[in-house]
Amino acid sequence: MKTLTFTVARFDPATDDSPHFEKYTVEVNEGARILHALHAVRDAIDPTLAYRYCCGSGQCGSCAVRVDGEPVLACMEEATEGMVVEALNLPVERDLMVEMESYLSGMEGLVPVGETRLLTRAENDAIRPLRDCIECLACVSGCPALQVAEFSGPTAMRQEMRIALDPRDPRDRVERTVADGLFTCTTCQRCVQVCPKEIKIPGKAIEKLRELANRKGLTLPKHKEVALLVQRTGRSVERIKPTFMEQVPDVIEPVGEVKGEVAFFVGCMYNSRLPETALDMIEVMRRNGYRIHIPKDQVCCGSPLIRTGQTWFLDELKHTNIRVFEKTGCDVVLTMCAGCGSTLKNDYVTPFTVKDVNEVLTEGGFEAPEKLPVRVTYHDPCHLYRGQDVHDPPREILRSLVEEFVEMPARCCGAGGGVRSGLPEEAAELGRQRGEAIEETGAEMVVTSCPFCEFHIAEHTDKPVINITTLLREGYAEKDEGSEEEKAGEK
Amino acid sequence: MPGDDVVDCHVLVIGSGGAGCRAALEAQQYGDTVLLSRTLTGKGGCTIMAEGGYNAVLNENDSCLLHYEDTLRGGAYLNDPELAEVLVAESPERFFDLARWGSVFDVAEDFVAAQRPFGGQRFNRTCYAGDRSGHEIMATLVEQVRNSDIHQIQEEAAIELLMEDGRAAGAFTLDRDGTPGVIRADAVVIATGGGTQIYDISTNCAAGTGDGFALGWRAGGELVDMEMIQFHPTGAVYPPDARGRLITEAVRGEGGVLKNSEGERFMARYDPGRMELSTRDVVSRAIANEILEGRGTPHGGVYLDVSHLPAAQIEERLPIMLEQYLTFGVDIRTEPMEVAPTAHHIMGGLRISPGCQTTIPSLFACGEVTGGVHGANRLGGNALADTQVFGKRAGEGAGKAAVRKKADYAARLARQEERFARFENGTTPPHEIVSALKRAMWDGAGIFRTKEGLLAAQAEVTRLSALIPKAYGQRGRLECCTVENMLCLSSLIIRGALVREESRGAHVRKDVTQDWMPERSPFGHTIQKGDSCIIEKKGGAA
Ligand SMILES: Cc1cc2nc3c(=O)[nH]c(=O)nc-3n(C[C@H](O)[C@H](O)[C@H](O)COP(=O)(O)OP(=O)(O)OC[C@H]3O[C@@H](n4cnc5c(N)ncnc54)[C@H](O)[C@@H]3O)c2cc1C
Ligand code: SF4
Ligand code: SF4
Ligand code: FES
Repeated sequence: MKTLTFTVARFDPATDDSPHFEKYTVEVNEGARILHALHAVRDAIDPTLAYRYCCGSGQCGSCAVRVDGEPVLACMEEATEGMVVEALNLPVERDLMVEMESYLSGMEGLVPVGETRLLTRAENDAIRPLRDCIECLACVSGCPALQVAEFSGPTAMRQEMRIALDPRDPRDRVERTVADGLFTCTTCQRCVQVCPKEIKIPGKAIEKLRELANRKGLTLPKHKEVALLVQRTGRSVERIKPTFMEQVPDVIEPVGEVKGEVAFFVGCMYNSRLPETALDMIEVMRRNGYRIHIPKDQVCCGSPLIRTGQTWFLDELKHTNIRVFEKTGCDVVLTMCAGCGSTLKNDYVTPFTVKDVNEVLTEGGFEAPEKLPVRVTYHDPCHLYRGQDVHDPPREILRSLVEEFVEMPARCCGAGGGVRSGLPEEAAELGRQRGEAIEETGAEMVVTSCPFCEFHIAEHTDKPVINITTLLREGYAEKDEGSEEEKAGEK
Repeated sequence: MPGDDVVDCHVLVIGSGGAGCRAALEAQQYGDTVLLSRTLTGKGGCTIMAEGGYNAVLNENDSCLLHYEDTLRGGAYLNDPELAEVLVAESPERFFDLARWGSVFDVAEDFVAAQRPFGGQRFNRTCYAGDRSGHEIMATLVEQVRNSDIHQIQEEAAIELLMEDGRAAGAFTLDRDGTPGVIRADAVVIATGGGTQIYDISTNCAAGTGDGFALGWRAGGELVDMEMIQFHPTGAVYPPDARGRLITEAVRGEGGVLKNSEGERFMARYDPGRMELSTRDVVSRAIANEILEGRGTPHGGVYLDVSHLPAAQIEERLPIMLEQYLTFGVDIRTEPMEVAPTAHHIMGGLRISPGCQTTIPSLFACGEVTGGVHGANRLGGNALADTQVFGKRAGEGAGKAAVRKKADYAARLARQEERFARFENGTTPPHEIVSALKRAMWDGAGIFRTKEGLLAAQAEVTRLSALIPKAYGQRGRLECCTVENMLCLSSLIIRGALVREESRGAHVRKDVTQDWMPERSPFGHTIQKGDSCIIEKKGGAA
């Protein structure tokens, strides 16, 4: 047995306007789950504590709660000292119980017609990954789109795809799913991150439903324009000024001796919209000893097509990119766009390793910059944090780069999944909420590592939004200036 | 009593597990059906936890006769032959009902169900969806319930049947807030599942408190073979809070081997023919014996090992096992599990006809709350089939019941109010009664039984029954009702176990010596009704 102290958000609808926090100290077994800690409170301290559970083994989906802000199954996750247990971010009925009935009863069921038959192996393999859902609603509680737009939510979309894949229900529900908000999903992957069954809803359901919608001509007009642009130019962004690739040679040498060699996948946004930022990144890499290849015949990674379900010429893009980068002979392909990186890592099968610039710098070791006297916060780009599981590297860089680094809860800014172009109002609302979160941190500056986030967040905050490599370059400049002054002083 | 809390319908189904959902889907074809459950629909009960699979004769080289014989042999010939016959004959059709409704059971090749070997069966006839077979069934049924006009009343429990002129006419309920309600119906189906939560070590979910046995018994129904409790051979032993959690038989079906602390594959000494895939009663006793004789593991179990199997096979066929063990820091791809028997299934229950009619008019029952289908020991995979076969039959029987004038309930409701008042002035926290009960049942009415041990357990149950569980506020009422049900179920088990002076199937009386094999047993069912408990005396059922 051991003693455990933790906090629970209590709420009584008869007397409370909002939940309040109570601290409890209980005796639990070694290895106790959160559920057992709750049982201990109920049995030893307060028999009125309300929470849902049944199977105790991660199979019924009754017991999802938030622990320190993250949705988990209470029966599966180990209880930890000092944890804070709250209800899911859904309407709270009492204490840790949220209203689930109305959402669950609204989920579409398969409508059988025709003959009874078992599935083929291929059908079975396709449906099965969507079938593990235990309807715990963790994903629903965490979905940013659902909070600001008319959207039936991640698991409802999962269920739609499951029906779409099933030959026993031949109904065509694509129009229905579009009406239910198919295009509101920003593909932020939050639902995947919190799902106890790790169901890949954006990739396996939403983008696939968008493909079906595309075949029926239901793709949003703005998204169609982008696809046509890519088809015409190989790029998803129009040229309005000299591009990054027009400004650089095919191979860039490092400042000193060659410590490493990478090939840079530029991405449409950095190439055509933010070439200055890409140049900052190049300088940082040069300074840290990297030789950088920039094959000029690279094309769009295809992300804007995959996310919006327009995949009919995706394979050509993939072939081109793989061929072009293979030719450089580099083992590592460097990305700085979170979206490109996530796409190359997850939607491609590549003969080379793809790494984000934050990973390359921290793994290879980077020269310490001068610490800048600012208070900054960091916005996790969805496609970097959840899409590539890159969480610590940018923080490591920031801690060496600024006097004060403050965390801000990770949440989608609204720019992804084609939402910024297709449903600007939704994107703006999520952007505004990010603006508020930034305000709350009291930071003077927001650092991030994704061109879409940079662009979008900048519209919704009065604080400067800056790319991490740009700031690092500033840190180096500051350092050089300092040492020059020193030298001057010595003289 | 305000009219708001009265719901009238044609059929009331109590319990939304596999049996209850199946019954409701059937009953709804005949008239308005209410599906009542103490949890959210489909989220309670043990069906959703079932991992291994569903037995059905689907292969032309298999036969219903073979399945029938396996079922009777596994059940130590205590099964009601007619019920067993219905089970095996209709299980394939009910499997195809599920397929029509969209179930995603694994296929071996296009359009052909994958079937795995399970203990005590001479053919690989257990259909599965990885190791989440019960979840697959529930997902399928719940989709259909949502599509239907079935009136779901969720997180509300039946606390007593409403009786009128000796027939079932509905039920009294309590919702989450402890507000009483009445549901009146022309026919009632009890599908409340099992109740091994009365044991200290159990595989059951929190709803496995045996409400239905108690509801039926208090209403005057007959129950059979209540002493027949299946102890599943392989429950987790560590960490403490995971004790009893089921390690599916599919682990052995896939090739897992059992070893004692000396590294010996000890099943060779107990059942060399069938080894690990012997029937559950045999494997459980073997494991219990190894532990008793000092060949157990440090945590008091034996080893169950799959690490010789390809990792990919474990990942694909046993994903839930893998995941659950990983959260406890054990990688079953490379390390053995530690297991010991755990209370799993109640074979006994409400006596039913093949039409699922109980001995009370207008009262039907299906699923684990019934007795007779599985005899003295259930085969793995037969319970899920049971829920579908008898779920349909119960729903149909209840659906065809005549429409009647709705019962007058006022006086009977007053009795429930008295019950609540008693709880409000209760003496003992409910959980204290429950934990004492669990220990008493494990010690006195567990795997190995003696008259002495059973009497001791009975004395403890009597003592605990004299305590009044305390309701902390109105919302605590239901828990108190549940405690009463658990005590009721426990005494039914003990009485049956005392009356059955033989070892048969899962029931082992160490204090009785007998010279007959099960098929020659001079005894039939134990039958309990009210305070009477008798054992049928006759030749073997074979
Ligand atoms: C861990 C585990 C694994 C298993 N694996 C297998 C397997 O692989 N193959 C197999 O054949 N069998 C298996 N079994 C056995 C099988 O799952 C059960 O016997 C069967 O599912 C019981 O179904 P049921 O519908 O009768 O009851 P349950 O599924 O238990 O449902 C009971 C329902 O009744 C409700 N209820 C209870 N009391 C009340 C009340 N007072 N008022 C209202 N509602 C109430 C509950 O909320 C629940 O909805 C397993 C059992 C367990 C515990
Ligand atoms: S990817 Fe993000 S926006 Fe899309 S459904 Fe999942 S949580 Fe919601
Ligand atoms: S998809 Fe995952 S998170 Fe969402 S309800 Fe299902 S199991 Fe829970
Ligand atoms: S209690 Fe069933 S999933 Fe946690």
